[in-house]
Amino acid sequence: MKLRSIIALANALGWVSRITKRGSGVMVTGRIILKLDPHAVATLAKNRRVVLISGTNGKTTTTSLIYQALATQSKVVSNFTGANLFAGLAAALSKDISAPTAALEVDEMVLPWAITETKPELVVLLNLGRDQLDRLSEVRVVAQKWKKAMKTLPSNCAVLADADDPFVTWAARDWPDVIWFSSGATGHIDASTCPECGAILHWGDGGNDYDCECGFRKPNADWVLRSGELVGPHDQKIAVQSAIPGFAAISNAARAIIAADIFGIGLQESARSIAQVSSVDGRFGALQIGRTHFRLLLSKNPASWRETLQTSVSGPEAVALVVNANTQDGKDTSWLWDVDFSPLRGRKVVVTGERRLDVSARLTVNEIAHRIVEDEAAAAEIFGAVQADLIASYTAFHRLAKLVKRS
Amino acid sequence: MTLTIVHLLPELLGTYGDRGNVEVASWRLKQRGIAHEVITVGVRDKVPTSADLYFLGGGEDDAQIAAREILERDGGIRKILNNGGHIFAVCAGFQLLGASFPASGNRTITGLGILPIETLAASPRSVGEILSQPTIPVATLTGFENHGGQTGFLEELQPLGRVVHGVGNGLNSKVDGVVTEQIVATYMHGPAFARNPELADWVLARKVGELAPLSAPIFNKLHAQRVASN
Repeated sequence: MKLRSIIALANALGWVSRITKRGSGVMVTGRIILKLDPHAVATLAKNRRVVLISGTNGKTTTTSLIYQALATQSKVVSNFTGANLFAGLAAALSKDISAPTAALEVDEMVLPWAITETKPELVVLLNLGRDQLDRLSEVRVVAQKWKKAMKTLPSNCAVLADADDPFVTWAARDWPDVIWFSSGATGHIDASTCPECGAILHWGDGGNDYDCECGFRKPNADWVLRSGELVGPHDQKIAVQSAIPGFAAISNAARAIIAADIFGIGLQESARSIAQVSSVDGRFGALQIGRTHFRLLLSKNPASWRETLQTSVSGPEAVALVVNANTQDGKDTSWLWDVDFSPLRGRKVVVTGERRLDVSARLTVNEIAHRIVEDEAAAAEIFGAVQADLIASYTAFHRLAKLVKRS
Repeated sequence: MTLTIVHLLPELLGTYGDRGNVEVASWRLKQRGIAHEVITVGVRDKVPTSADLYFLGGGEDDAQIAAREILERDGGIRKILNNGGHIFAVCAGFQLLGASFPASGNRTITGLGILPIETLAASPRSVGEILSQPTIPVATLTGFENHGGQTGFLEELQPLGRVVHGVGNGLNSKVDGVVTEQIVATYMHGPAFARNPELADWVLARKVGELAPLSAPIFNKLHAQRVASN
């Protein structure tokens, strides 16, 4: 069967799956395409300009922002709903064969395969941190996979890598064409030892610099983001703005501007289009439950909880936390103890979700007054007609994000 | 007298929320009005050797090896025990107290030699909920384990628990952890003290004497829910 016919069939079956509510149409479409043509991704990526985006946190948002910037120039396909495994990539690439450009979010462990198949023009490496250790790999294992994958990049490929992250630096630094970016992020929860030699890594400059006796050190950044201004290697300057709240959103917007620059799009033009994105796949979306107007936030591992809690500080007084421990959340809740929940102190806090007792124990020891409730509706009854933040772990977030789209 | 608790090398050994045990221990003492201080020892600090209770957490290979070197320096770990200090050790912290433990690249690393145990590489990793019947007078133990090594006793030792669900020390031993006069060790990582309030109090009481009852129902509820889930 020709690939075009395969895609038509897969789309039809994906549509059936979606309207009969058997599953996400995207996954079904992607799986059927790969089943009938295992090389479909390579074929679909051929003669296209492809950018791959990977890392522990910020994949979906950064991909969406890059899409936004690239779309000012040409048609772009993307997988903005976070379907970032094999089938998700196949489905995204099949969406519009006439689009000359593809911006693809890729799971960290799938990145080596995606590089081989899509022969990208740019790979964006965001960060590596501990994430669901019960089912995913320890950080060093992922960094090793990336380092190996860098050897398989096409010769004209650029890598946009985060110099603040020692694991990203270590993985990327052998590649001749690395564009180093520094957002000014400080410290790293998992990088107390050197990725190169295992000795204790020396952190300086308030946590924004690191070096080791073996010679491994932070590279000089080509692009630097400081106080909302992005400065490039030729002293280009651009103010970075985002309608998405939080520091991570600004640094992801900066990465998107750099990526767009590599694709030949002017800084002003991309910055303007990126600044308009306010919600990505339900993140920071609004939803009403009962009389409460919630803002939905995703948190899935210690680094993202820290970021979300910081962002939430400037938000409403009322906060609901929803924590599950299904396979996609990670079945181990011990990470709760790696997060300092102090930013919630003094606010009106309720906890729910399948693992609300674990969260309650954590908050008790963290000395944060809170109440345990059955579900979000019960939280809304307590809050009443106010604005509130709803911070949810992965599976709870995706259930609630569907409500955002409807409201 | 102020009780001194030392959290050893959390940057190296703290991969799975291990600081939770230190925080819970401190919180339970505070609720009872027992004066204490918590000292966090970083990789460049000198390890104090005359404190009362030490906590060692879990970590990856390189971090475990780096921690071994720091704790061996100046005979630190032996001085701690000679001075009567107690140790609560989890996962990698447990392994490195033994004769040897494995590391990536088929390496075998010499341990601190405090416990007559040795740890071997095992595949697949032991990952999941663990439930055991304790050998000490506390309620059923519940935790989460995630380790590549399995640990055998080289001499007769008292395990912390007899495993009902999960792997624990492994090597077909059906036990988890170890209890000696001064050391309690386990593969239950992260917040073992949060999920097992009686274990927390038992470890603390060995150092401070009998503890007044503490009403903190959330921990008992959490314990009951986790035990029932297995």
